[in-house]
Amino acid sequence: MALIDLINENVVKVPLESAVKEDVFRELINLLHSAGKITDPEEIYDAIITREQLFSTALENGIAIPHAKTKAVNTLTMALGISPDGIEAESQDGKPSHVFFLILAPPEQTGPHLEALSEIAGATKSGSFRRLLITARTPEEIVELFQDG
Amino acid sequence: MSGPIERILVYIDGTEESLTAAQYAILLSKATGAKLYGTFIVNTHALNDLLKSHIFVESEQMEYQRDLEQDAGKYLHHFETMAASKGVEAETLRENGSVHVKLKEMVREFEIDLLVVGELSRIRSRRDEFLNESERALRTVPCSVIVVKDTDRVWDLFENDSRR
Repeated sequence: MALIDLINENVVKVPLESAVKEDVFRELINLLHSAGKITDPEEIYDAIITREQLFSTALENGIAIPHAKTKAVNTLTMALGISPDGIEAESQDGKPSHVFFLILAPPEQTGPHLEALSEIAGATKSGSFRRLLITARTPEEIVELFQDG
Repeated sequence: MSGPIERILVYIDGTEESLTAAQYAILLSKATGAKLYGTFIVNTHALNDLLKSHIFVESEQMEYQRDLEQDAGKYLHHFETMAASKGVEAETLRENGSVHVKLKEMVREFEIDLLVVGELSRIRSRRDEFLNESERALRTVPCSVIVVKDTDRVWDLFENDSRR
């Protein structure tokens, strides 16, 4: 499944309002709830935090990929949030995180989950793509970036 | 048996699209008499990449690999059962590694002359062409490739086909 199949304007938040990592997770989970993609925000928050406690999912270069396998979704689900100012999220390079890809998958969809994570990892290797994401001002701009590749 | 199609390989990854491709490959094998292979490839290449980039921790990588190996067993068994229901004998190949690389190797090793894959994602970007394993496989394997579309039609064909 291509990332663009998972993204639409309803699951993209630009800019994020939160200034703390855990609040960003809640903001993105609430976005999915408002978009009708999930029904139990608390169960999903718990799954994300449980994974986060193993090791921070904030990577290098301003990218964070909080993710979890959970029975609280029926299909692969994603939300994307952009923080132009950046958020301290215990990243690997110690720098603020600007782009949060929140990915949820039901336990029986390990293959598509793996594929989506790999696509994000591949797409965000590009410095110019990262810059375009961080400087985007609207959800529509973000969706267009993925469509344009 | 001789003809343009003697050995068919279908790539199964557990998605609905790949199961439709499996049904189509079974019908094609039955119609042509071609030998039929089905493969599920546990993408350990992607798992290792995610560990290296710290998206996964080690316990997570192991858990995902275990889940994918269980999926391989489940879906290949389902494929064999579907083939048997149409009187077609199928051989299953379980592999670990990079999907498009393993498909290329299998095509060469088993002298496959037709690879069957499921429909690609609905909307595609240029970026996806470099990242999607099915897309890479169909561009790089040395044999002909069928991309199976129209799930409803294929499921009807499969359901309405008599056993022999």
